[in-house]
Amino acid sequence: MANRKSRITRRRFIGATAAASVAFGVPTLLRAQAKPIKVGLVHPITGFLAYSGGQSRMGAMLAIDEINAAGGIKSMGGAKLEALLGDNQAKPEVGVSVVEQMQEAGVSAYIGCFSSAVALPATQAAAKYNTPFVIDVGASDNIVNRGLKNVFRLKPGFNACVDDAILGLGEINKAAGNPAKSAVLVHEESEFGTGTAKLLAGKLPSIGVEVKEVMKHANPTRDFANLALRIRGLKPDLLIMSNYQNEYVLLARTLHQQKVDLVGMFSVLGGGFNYKFVQELPDVAQHMIDTNHWFDPTNPKAQAKKKQVEAKGSLFTFEVYLSYNAVKFLAEGFERAGSADKDKVNAALAASSWSDHFMPYGPTKMVNGQNTGGKASIQQASKSDINVIWPTKFASAKPVFPKPKFS
Amino acid sequence: MRSWTVPAALLAVALAYPFVFRSNFAINFGVLVLFFALIGQAWNIAGGFGGQLSFGHAVFFGTGAYCSTILQLKLGWNPWLGLGASAAAGALVGALIAALSFRFGLRGSYFALITLAFAEAFRILTNAVEFTGGGLGLLIPLKRGAANFQFDERIGFYYTILALTVLSIGIAVWLKHSRFGARLAAIRENEDAARALGIDTYREKVKVMALSGALCALGGTFYAQYYLYIDPTVAFGVDKSVEMLLVSMIGGTGTVYGPLIGSFLITLVGEYTRAVTNAQGLSLIIYGGLLILIIGFLPNGLVDLFKLRWRRKRRA
Repeated sequence: MANRKSRITRRRFIGATAAASVAFGVPTLLRAQAKPIKVGLVHPITGFLAYSGGQSRMGAMLAIDEINAAGGIKSMGGAKLEALLGDNQAKPEVGVSVVEQMQEAGVSAYIGCFSSAVALPATQAAAKYNTPFVIDVGASDNIVNRGLKNVFRLKPGFNACVDDAILGLGEINKAAGNPAKSAVLVHEESEFGTGTAKLLAGKLPSIGVEVKEVMKHANPTRDFANLALRIRGLKPDLLIMSNYQNEYVLLARTLHQQKVDLVGMFSVLGGGFNYKFVQELPDVAQHMIDTNHWFDPTNPKAQAKKKQVEAKGSLFTFEVYLSYNAVKFLAEGFERAGSADKDKVNAALAASSWSDHFMPYGPTKMVNGQNTGGKASIQQASKSDINVIWPTKFASAKPVFPKPKFS
Repeated sequence: MRSWTVPAALLAVALAYPFVFRSNFAINFGVLVLFFALIGQAWNIAGGFGGQLSFGHAVFFGTGAYCSTILQLKLGWNPWLGLGASAAAGALVGALIAALSFRFGLRGSYFALITLAFAEAFRILTNAVEFTGGGLGLLIPLKRGAANFQFDERIGFYYTILALTVLSIGIAVWLKHSRFGARLAAIRENEDAARALGIDTYREKVKVMALSGALCALGGTFYAQYYLYIDPTVAFGVDKSVEMLLVSMIGGTGTVYGPLIGSFLITLVGEYTRAVTNAQGLSLIIYGGLLILIIGFLPNGLVDLFKLRWRRKRRA
C-alpha cells in the first residue's frame, strides 16, 4: 500500500508538472503586468446625499471599467485603474478620514466629493501629499480658489453656472417677448443654495427681472404649503429654485397641487431636475426649466452611455456623467504624464486640453484648477423626456416659454 | 493600585501614540478619538455629573467654532487667543441658557428639549445673518504655521487636542473629589432633597452649564482650525449633539473616563466598519448593531467592563 502511494505514475507526474508551472509561472506573469493605479472615490454613500453619492460612484465605476477594458493606461504599460471605494457620509470629518485611509492604501488620485462642505477639508488633506484631486460634483468656487495645486474641477462652479443661467434666461425671455418681469427666489440654506441665490439676486435685474423676494428653507423640509401660499400672494412671473433633490421635487409638486400660475419655473443647479422626476411626476415636471450640468445630446457617445446606464435600470443623472467624465479626464492626465508620479500628473492635468468628453464644453483649459472651458446648459422637461433648449448649438428642442396656464 | 497609576499610564500611552503609529491616518484617528472625548466630556460634566441632560450641546460647540473664526476673520485675532475667547463665549451662552431655563423651573426632558431648541435657534440665526457668512459658512484661509493654529503636520493638532482633553478629564477628576462635584451629585440624585439640605441648586446648575459650555466651545474652535471650514449645519447641527451624547452614554455617564472609552470605541468601530465593507449602508448597520449590543449588555457603559474585571481581581 505504502509502495503504491509513493510510486510516480504518469498521471501524478503530469499533475505535479502542471502545478509547478503554475506556481513558478504565475508570479512571472504578474510581474509582467503593470502595477494598478489606485483611484479613490470619495462620495456620500450613506446620509442625506446617499442617492447622489451612489450615482456618482456608478458614473466613476463605468469610466474605470471602460478604461480597463480598453487596455488601461497605455503609456504606463497598460496599467489598470483600481477603484478604492469610500463613503464620506456627507460629513467633513469623515471625508478627511477617508482621504487619509486611502493615502495609506497608496492612492494615486481622488475623485469626489459631491458636497462642497466635504470637498473643502478633503482637498486640503490631499494637498498635504500633493495627490491629485478631481472634483466631479461640488459647486463652491472656494474649492478651487485657495491656490491648492492638486485640485481640479472639470465642470463650471457657482459663478459660471449663474452667469450662464442669466445669459440663457435673458435670451429665452427676450425671444418670447419678455413675458417674465419679476421673480421669487427659493433656495436651500447651505452654501450651495445660498451662494447661488445671492448671485442670482444680484444679476437678475441686468436682464430686466425684478427680484420680489428671496426665501430660504431648511434641509430637510417636508412641507412647502405655506411657502407656496406666500409665492401665490407675491404673484411673481418666475419662480427660481436652488435646492437639493427632495426639496426640489416637493416644492414643485406643492406649487403644481396649488395650481400657482407662473410664466416659468426655473432653477439653477436644481437637485431634483432629472429623469427620475420626469418619470415619477410627469405632470409636475412638464415645462420646468433648469440650468445645470448636462451632457451634449448631439454627441453619440453621450447617447450610447445613456442607453448603457438605462439598460441597467438606472437613471442617467448629472452625477453619473460628471463623475464619468471626471475619471476620463484624470485617466487622460495619467496617459500624458506616463506615470503616477503626483507632480507629473498634477502638471499634466493643469496643462490639459482634453476634448474627448461628451459635455457641451470645448477642450479643457485649466486656470487655477478650474476648467474655464466648462459651460452649463439650460434644459426643459416634457412629459416624457428632458431636452436641452440653450445654448441653441446643442439644443434638442425649442423652449416652451411662457408655460401654459392651469386654467 | 495607586490612584494615579491609571491616568499616568493612559497619558503615557497617549503621549507615545504618534511615535508608535506614525502615519497621518493613525494620527488623524487619534485626533478624532480625543476630539470626541473632549466634547463628550463637556456633555458628561453637565449631563453625567450635574444630571442636566441636554440634547442641544451643539449650541456651545457652534458658539466656540464661530466665535474664534469670526474674531480671526473679521478682527484679525490670532486663533490661539480666539480659543480663550471662545471658552468665555461658551461659558456665557451656557450660563445664559441655564439661567433662563432653570429660572422658569425647566427640568429633565423639558430642559433637554429647550437645549435642542436653542441649538436650532442658533443654527437658524447663523444661517440668516451676514457676519456669520450665512449658509455659505466661513472658510479660514490656509496659512500654515503653529503660531497660526495651522500645524504643518497632524502631530501638532494631536498634541493640542490631547492637552484640551487632558484638561477636560482633569476637570472631571476635580468634580469627582470637590465639594462642587458633591453638590452636583446631590442635585443629580434628588434635586428637592439637595435644596432641602441648603444647596443653592439654581446657582450650582448654572455654574456647571457654564463650565460644560466653555469646554465644548474649546472643541468647536479646535474643529474650525482643524478643518478650516464651518457652516451652520456643521457647527450647530443635531449630529454633533448626538455624537457627544453618544460617546458619554456608550462609555459611561458620570464617570471620569467614560467619554474617552466611548469615543475610542465609537471612532474605532466607525473607521473599521467603513474600511471592511463597501456595500452601501452596511457599515452603518454593523455600527448600529454593535451599539445595540453594548447598550443591551452594558447599560451603564463600557466603564462597567473595567469595574467588573477590577472587582473580580480584588476578590481573587
